Amino acid sequence: MDIEEVGGIRFHINFSQPLYEQILDQIRSAIAKGEIELGEKIPSVRELAQGLRINPNTVMRAYQELERDGLTEKRRGQGTFVTSSSSKVKTFRMELAKDHIAAFLNQMENLGFTWTEIKDYISNNYDASKGGEQV
Amino acid sequence: MTESALTCENITKTYGKKKALNNFKIDAPKNKIVGVLGPNGSGKSTLFRMITGLVKPDHGSIEVLGKIPGWQTNRDIAYLPDRARWYPGHTVGRAFDWASNFLPDFDMTSAEKLARYMDIDLDTQTRGMSRGQEARLMLILCVARHVPLVVLDEPFSGIDVISREHIIEGIIEYLSEREQTILISTHEIHEVEGLFEYAVLMDKGEAIWSGDTEELRAQYGSMHSVFRTFYKRRLTEDDV
Repeated sequence: MDIEEVGGIRFHINFSQPLYEQILDQIRSAIAKGEIELGEKIPSVRELAQGLRINPNTVMRAYQELERDGLTEKRRGQGTFVTSSSSKVKTFRMELAKDHIAAFLNQMENLGFTWTEIKDYISNNYDASKGGEQV
Repeated sequence: MTESALTCENITKTYGKKKALNNFKIDAPKNKIVGVLGPNGSGKSTLFRMITGLVKPDHGSIEVLGKIPGWQTNRDIAYLPDRARWYPGHTVGRAFDWASNFLPDFDMTSAEKLARYMDIDLDTQTRGMSRGQEARLMLILCVARHVPLVVLDEPFSGIDVISREHIIEGIIEYLSEREQTILISTHEIHEVEGLFEYAVLMDKGEAIWSGDTEELRAQYGSMHSVFRTFYKRRLTEDDV
């Protein structure tokens, strides 16, 4: 899988999955992680289409969705910018977290783990990854 | 409802014993980049000749932009044949002059812009051009026309990687500005597949799959791998 950097955002595009969702997800998470800062300009549809070798209409669809999310805003004649509202990004970050947690719990339950086991597993695993530090 | 750029209903076309098109059906939407994909000899060029009215179906019917193909519809089509023919002693700039005299819908400004973008110098002599440069020039002559349908037969075959990149960039650059249907046939899918919004997979004169490329990806994976799986399966079926 290739990694391309376009306008400061890193993309890994995998042609075995719908491209629209990948562009959308990767810009969303770049904003949520703070890789792109509040109020920062993002590449134009054309720049991104060129950088990723993807149909501009596909990129455009992802950009429209980002605007609907409230994560970006178009400024006439200037391009598309990340929202300058930190609360919008924070809310969105929480939404993403909820989605990830729901997916994780769902998979763990499918594997037959109980809630207590999951909790223990998480805290042990977390402590191990932090070298036993208490949080 | 999306309008159709190309509708084919159960088309059969036979050359001697060989069925170039066999019960061929598609309905390709307007204003998209449509990839017509398949190995050599799968019927892509026959289809393209039928779109331009050069070949008529034995059975079935075809409509291009809602009309039966013929000289009237050809005014609305910019066609890049699979082999370029050229005129010696011209420069690129003179080729553009020629095009703007003879093609009423040719847009000189777009052509010059595309030439800059695809790294073709207007003073280049057409005589000394590489296949890749020639392919770029032919592509510019096609896409710089204000027509509703652009038909590119194997624009990527037999050219160097740099030219191919330039062509892909040129198509993307140009697409951001206009609404137009572009039909592209190719047997080399890798690197180009991100361009297609709609795909038709052809084999032995049939459309074995057609539809939205994002659906194709969601269902089967990348076109590149789908292509290999589809055709491998058909090969084994034939062996039985």
